Amino acid sequence: MLALMLPLAVAFVGMGYRLVDVQVLRHESLFREAQSKTHHTELREARRGEIRDRHGNLLATSAFVKTVCANPEFVGRFQNEVASVLAPLLEMDERELREKLKIRTYVNSKGETRIDPYEVLKRKVPIETWNQIQTNMLALTVAGEPDKPSRSEARALSNLRRRAIFAEDYDDQIRIYPNGPLAAHVLGFVGMRDRMSVGGMVQELQGADGVELKLNELLSGLPGWRVVETVPKGELVPFRSQDVEPHPGRNVFLTIDSGLQAIVEAELAFLMREHAPLSASAVIVRPQTGEILAMANCPTFDPNRPGDSKPEERRNRVITDVLEPGSTFKIVPASAGLAEGLVSLDTRIDCEQGHFYFAGRRLKDDHPSGFLTVQEVIAKSSNIGTAKIAIQLGKARLFDYIQKFGFGTATGIPLVGEVVGIVHPPSKWSKLSISRIPIGQGIAVTPLQMVMAMSALANDGVLMQPMLLDRVEDEDGHVVIQYAPQEVRRVVSGATSRSMVTALKAVVSQDGTARRARVEGFSVAGKTGTAQKAIRGGYSHTAFFASFVGFFPADAPELCISVILDEPKKPSYYASVTAAPAFRRIAERASKYLSLQPDLPMERQTALTRNSVRVD
Amino acid sequence: MLNATLTPRESRVDWPMWLAILGLMLVGTAFIYSATSTRGDLGVWQRFQESSLLEFFSWLLRQFYTRQLIAFALGLGAAGAICLVDYHTLARWSLVVYCAGILLLIMVLTPGIGSVRFGARRWIDLGFLNFQPSEFAKLAFLLLLANFLSRPLEELKEPRIFFKSLALMALPFVLILKEPDLGSALTLIPVGLTIMFVAGAPARYLKGLALGGAILVTFVVVDVLVMPPQWRFIPLAQYQRERILVYFGASFADPDSPAAEQRRARERQRAKTYNIEQAMISVGSGGLAGKGWREGTQNTLGYLPRGVAHNDFIFSVIAEESGFTGSLVVLSLYGVILFSGLRIASQARDRLGRLIASGIVALFFSHIFINIGMNIRLMPVTGSQLPLLSYGGTSVLCTLIAAGVLQNIYIYRKSL
Repeated sequence: MLALMLPLAVAFVGMGYRLVDVQVLRHESLFREAQSKTHHTELREARRGEIRDRHGNLLATSAFVKTVCANPEFVGRFQNEVASVLAPLLEMDERELREKLKIRTYVNSKGETRIDPYEVLKRKVPIETWNQIQTNMLALTVAGEPDKPSRSEARALSNLRRRAIFAEDYDDQIRIYPNGPLAAHVLGFVGMRDRMSVGGMVQELQGADGVELKLNELLSGLPGWRVVETVPKGELVPFRSQDVEPHPGRNVFLTIDSGLQAIVEAELAFLMREHAPLSASAVIVRPQTGEILAMANCPTFDPNRPGDSKPEERRNRVITDVLEPGSTFKIVPASAGLAEGLVSLDTRIDCEQGHFYFAGRRLKDDHPSGFLTVQEVIAKSSNIGTAKIAIQLGKARLFDYIQKFGFGTATGIPLVGEVVGIVHPPSKWSKLSISRIPIGQGIAVTPLQMVMAMSALANDGVLMQPMLLDRVEDEDGHVVIQYAPQEVRRVVSGATSRSMVTALKAVVSQDGTARRARVEGFSVAGKTGTAQKAIRGGYSHTAFFASFVGFFPADAPELCISVILDEPKKPSYYASVTAAPAFRRIAERASKYLSLQPDLPMERQTALTRNSVRVD
Repeated sequence: MLNATLTPRESRVDWPMWLAILGLMLVGTAFIYSATSTRGDLGVWQRFQESSLLEFFSWLLRQFYTRQLIAFALGLGAAGAICLVDYHTLARWSLVVYCAGILLLIMVLTPGIGSVRFGARRWIDLGFLNFQPSEFAKLAFLLLLANFLSRPLEELKEPRIFFKSLALMALPFVLILKEPDLGSALTLIPVGLTIMFVAGAPARYLKGLALGGAILVTFVVVDVLVMPPQWRFIPLAQYQRERILVYFGASFADPDSPAAEQRRARERQRAKTYNIEQAMISVGSGGLAGKGWREGTQNTLGYLPRGVAHNDFIFSVIAEESGFTGSLVVLSLYGVILFSGLRIASQARDRLGRLIASGIVALFFSHIFINIGMNIRLMPVTGSQLPLLSYGGTSVLCTLIAAGVLQNIYIYRKSL
């Protein structure tokens, strides 16, 4: 028997040793492995901050939504009752709901038939609706309910009312832009992004363009998490040792004024119908601070449904597109000439009767003239006169002023995708350049750069950084960041800028090119531009950018407005009949909206009724 | 005679063994309850209050633990009945019992009689009970071999006897293998060898047999682990091959096979190793004291598959919920039974008793070692049951009958 006892003892010692190994020595790691199956990390998403305009009007907000599901087993035979409660709340067809509430079975991997306890009824249901559903389900009455239900009947009814309709634990978040396309290009839009988190992969909102993208970090906040444990009873118990509150995103207040933004967008929509351009853009800036009060493009899109739009509709052309500005650019050489003391407003320049040969090429004026004062050169937008001022300045000084006015560098607006434009250094200029760049050819700028340059003249010669953000608040309304206007540099002296304002007022005078930009009751300063679009090997004779950039009241400017149309087709492509009147309409409505004090007597309006076409 | 009258108080019942058996029965019932009752179900008492008596009893009869308790009762009854008859009388009928066992093994292989579960034809469905003939056949073989070898020592030296013994073993072995149930079939070998060894079969035969077995096992393992597919000549079913691979932690996938096939192989491997990995996690996560009865997450939440938790993997449930302490208690209880068996063998009145007793010890031991070994990854996975703990009527009945035979031998032991 001893011979048998020996292997027996060996085997028992072996098993015992193995048990010590597994249950004692390796307990830690195996226990963690078992725990990892029962402990789940639930992510608690941070609410994305709101975006509001300068007055606190809501532009973008977030809402938590529920995925409403049903457990058909608990619904039992009461599909009709449940469907009639849910249908109006979920805005779904009752018949479709009844179908979804029917018991479905599936065959699991072991070949057993099981009742499917999970049927998604609707996703993205607002929390309020979900709360209403819960209330209504609790109050659900069923036909033939016994007065004194037996225990099992009571349980079935309780399950029906409390557990048959349920929502998924994890709340999704959706982004809502209550005004639809209003300020779409400024706001941008959001997309869903997969992110590795404590609890595994989660989907979260991620800014995809505009302020949403630029300020994504501030807006998104910090998600929290909570470790929950499945106990053997099958219930979920929040595991309190790890319960981290999410930090909601900050609320961002823009300098945008929704009222002005709406005025601008309505005007752009009108321009699209009226002149059939490829696109139209407009910006309103407060010259003294650089605050962007409105910024819009047409075609536009609805940020609630970015997927339905084409990429070109989502582009914020004001910062992403460049154009050869044409005549509006003449403010740069003119200001430079005045600032350098080469000319004064009264200096007479020979405009060569409309034909000026320079570097072997002819420069033309549409309205040939002899001698013109500098003020007239600007008012009548003489190419020859402007070119002569630039030639006097020379390459270096012209380039210096181009740079000072902010061309060739990003304005630093807090948006994504801003381009710097194309400004060649003098070393790359041809002989012809000095006569063409001053009239806005051979140089490419963004509409924003142009309006900021004009604003500098309206702001006593000081270039401001465009300002889009007013302040950032936390969820309790405490201001976290207050943004202040940023001066970029003084471009020209106050005297020079005042001279320029005088000249630019003449543009909008009876004899200027932008008669139609005159605003009732206000003095206006501005400049039109009808620029041939650069095409391969030269300039198009049929495709033009029509633009007007101006400000009012001219001597104490409140608003600087730019309107740009890309290829207006009817009734003509001239800025004087497309962009200038658009400026007027925007300015008129804006002045009423802001209750601006007129600085001119009102009888001027009679002059507006004249209807001859004058072009620049 | 005088001596006999003076020791009337000498016990006729082997109390240590029966107490251990009782302990195992209690542990078994408790943990079958833990492994099969679903959370959220009504408790027994609540069930009793809420439903009619008939409903209650028909529900109760469907519960695994009730059925196990009934099997215990039947088994104890059978054990008691066996004790009434001298084991010599029993041994005289061993050939009949053996033939009946063989007949049942043939019957179970007949389609229409044997029912197929998990791809094997191992059970005869009797309605209230799934009878597993291989369990019975093992006992029958044990009795017959013991009876056959309880002959004069000189005869045992004849090769004829030795080969006849081997033939007695080979017949049920082949039939059980056909089901297929390799695990059960293999338990015949230690039982047979032990009886032959104790009977005094020539050592060189046994050595040769052991050597042959070792060589065969080596061949199989080498064939499975090392050989490329075209060089494999041992006809193993795919699932058997894969079990060996799982045991050695080797990859199912052939490095030369196409990618899609390799992916399928890996998926199969994950599925096949799932049970055994979950068992390891269960056992290990129990730690010293365990998570508490019905509190094991692996068990109650179904990570340890519910289909096997109450039978093949009951040890994992016990180890998870009662920890190292519980595993040690279980091992000790088995130890008591096995050493009682060996003691009974050594006290047996004659060679027949000794052979039967040592055969039963070998049978118990193989079951215990194969099953617990599988739960803690000492042995490859085979569908085997843990005596008195695993759910299963046939296993319980045969174990208790075998314990009854041990008791029988104990009653007629040599008086000291």
